Amino acid sequence: MADLGRAALVVSLGLSVYALVAGATAAITSRRRLATSARNALFCCFGSTLIAAVVLASALVRHDFSFTYVAQHTNRTLTTPYALSAFWGGQEGSLLLWLLVLTGYGSLAVALNRKLLRDLTVWVVPVLAGIGTFFAFVLVAVASPFGTQTAPLDGNGLTPSLQNPYMVAHPPMLYLGYVGLSIPFAFAAGAMLSGRTDERWIVATRRWTLAAWAFLGFGQLLGAHWAYVEVGWGGYYAWDPVENAALMPWLAATAFLHSVMIQERKGMLKVWNMVLVALAFELSVFGTFLTRSGVVNSIHSFSKSPIGSWFLAFVVISTVFSLALIMWRLPLLKARTKLESALSREATFLYNNLLLVALCLTVLWGVLFPIVTQVFKGETRTIGRPYYDFFLRVFGLPLLLLMGIGPLIAWRKASFRGLVKLLAWPIAVSILCGVALVLVGAGSSKPGLIAYTFSSFVLATIVLELVRGTRAVGSVFTLISRNRRRYGGYVVHAAIVLLAIGIAGSSAYGTSTRARLTPGQSVSVAGYTLSLRDVRRTQVPNATETRAVFDVGGRWHGTLASGDNQYIFPPEPSREVGIKTSWTRAEDLYVIADDVNVKTHVVFVQVLVKPLVNLIWVAGIVFLLGAGIALWPDAREQRRLVTRLAPAQA
Amino acid sequence: MSTRSPARLVVALAVAGVLAVFLLYTAVAGHSTPTLTPSQLGAHSGKLAIVGVVVGPSRGDSHSARGLRFGLRNIVGSSKVVPVVYRGDSPPPLFTVGRNVVVSGSYANGRLAANSIVTKCPSKYTATTSGA
Repeated sequence: MADLGRAALVVSLGLSVYALVAGATAAITSRRRLATSARNALFCCFGSTLIAAVVLASALVRHDFSFTYVAQHTNRTLTTPYALSAFWGGQEGSLLLWLLVLTGYGSLAVALNRKLLRDLTVWVVPVLAGIGTFFAFVLVAVASPFGTQTAPLDGNGLTPSLQNPYMVAHPPMLYLGYVGLSIPFAFAAGAMLSGRTDERWIVATRRWTLAAWAFLGFGQLLGAHWAYVEVGWGGYYAWDPVENAALMPWLAATAFLHSVMIQERKGMLKVWNMVLVALAFELSVFGTFLTRSGVVNSIHSFSKSPIGSWFLAFVVISTVFSLALIMWRLPLLKARTKLESALSREATFLYNNLLLVALCLTVLWGVLFPIVTQVFKGETRTIGRPYYDFFLRVFGLPLLLLMGIGPLIAWRKASFRGLVKLLAWPIAVSILCGVALVLVGAGSSKPGLIAYTFSSFVLATIVLELVRGTRAVGSVFTLISRNRRRYGGYVVHAAIVLLAIGIAGSSAYGTSTRARLTPGQSVSVAGYTLSLRDVRRTQVPNATETRAVFDVGGRWHGTLASGDNQYIFPPEPSREVGIKTSWTRAEDLYVIADDVNVKTHVVFVQVLVKPLVNLIWVAGIVFLLGAGIALWPDAREQRRLVTRLAPAQA
Repeated sequence: MSTRSPARLVVALAVAGVLAVFLLYTAVAGHSTPTLTPSQLGAHSGKLAIVGVVVGPSRGDSHSARGLRFGLRNIVGSSKVVPVVYRGDSPPPLFTVGRNVVVSGSYANGRLAANSIVTKCPSKYTATTSGA
């Protein structure tokens, strides 16, 4: 079976090289049959990669430890879903998943657009094949998942804390996002190579970009929730380089999704959009380089391997290729219209873009800072949470405000007086909200107060838009179905507001206390009283569980347990926190018993009360809903698209 | 009517604004911490972080006045062992001899008085034999 997998990957490499060379030759010489052949090679490359993927998945499910990869990442005790999740758990498998998704996405995108955008797709095929060639080469020559060995009796197994449903879904979500960004990049490059730099490539890839962005965003929230419930430090995002590796392309893609609206509507920002789509793609590959090269220190321990240098080379080559293309096609990327006023929807979107890119580059600077200081000062220096928190406030709070203004302000030119009149209700609501928050004591954190006030402003603008629109058409469902993109966007904005409220609430208004307790002693925090009832140690089939049991009184009555598990196989510990979610009070009681001594019955405990933290997870669901509405096929839009693109094809 | 676009002005102001914020941050609030391996410590002193592998024996209790005592050496290659005394919350559950950690604190007289330990998190399905 391993031979079949290896052979399938070699075929994938051959097909992708053929699609690259034949596709480029066909595009340059305008040979239609050769272009069709290159396109078919890309389709077949998906087929051969699928065979390789099935071979690996089958080996994982069958616990075939003659595959070195299977023995390294699974064992016999794993259930089928966790055994299958090892597909993307290890380096070689995740690269195979990347190639599978790339060729699958690429084949579908090319097939769907081959008639409407024929002149463009002839160039898209070699670009996608070029990316595919890199991954296929790495899989064949550097990091094959089909290495074999004499089968051991059992495998190494899976770290216990990773045996969690969130960790089954989190990595493939991120990969669907990372790889999805290849499609708009390939179409952008195809547009420049073919000289067809009008808006058609943007229209053709809008849903691809949106889907990739949604996967990337939701995948990060899944990872954050896993960290919150499983890692047990009371937080959900540590600004670690590996976490930032997923955030950066998401920020660049967010900027791109907004700026393409300006290009579609006004023919502006063409160069900027090319830069953004290239930046999002390069950052997605750069993320893999970061995680695999070990070039920066991270709390996340990925297996280090030589593929880091290959990824660096690929990032450099593809960046030079992108910049050279943009420079070459600058004359074709001139704007059709100009920004007429600094107070207009176009300008607001531009501000939004500048802030998003500034935040993205700030995070990138933070990630690269240790490397820069090592090179220039001969000493690695790191910058931590205060740096990121500072810039999140500096760029994030104005972004929040713009989210309310942008969709309402007039195109071309708006007057300040007209804008204030338009936003009178949202402004009044936010002022009232701010005053009320100060009165209830939320003024203890100025960034928190600003975030809440701005959030109420944005929510008021969304409600205002929905009310106005519903009055015009009669029902909210009709309203949304008539312009799914716009109202899907509003729902996503509402999700971002919930996210902002959740982050501000849990970080700015949270309380915590630490205590040393023996049975019968208690500790109080934010209206809760925790009394240590008992310390116990129990043996379960694969672990020794040590728990401190607390009777909780005050704002909630019940029992919470926290402690640790010491697993037998693999011999790893895990921290087990006690969490009580109260939806009515919109807060979590979070208990970390970080040192439970079963001999002395002494427990060191940390108790946190985290207001509104669950809005972060609710935001994830609302985010998916909004993205789904915006992605849903729209017959009206399709008709507009056909009408718009038909003359260009003629 | 002037046809000059304000876009360039907007971009220039934005770039200037971002640079100003950077300067402000680095001048007023910017703090970076040297992050060194045991072999790089040399004549360093003061606040820093050490990346290394925990060397036993690990003795004591982080909650007591004497603290939790252990050593750190280079993850890759050989180095001297840096003695560490850690006081504070209990170390993370994954903390054990042989684990890769980042320990922060104040370094003086060849000893680190630590106030933070971060163990490498098994964020991916790593082989248990890797020791990561």
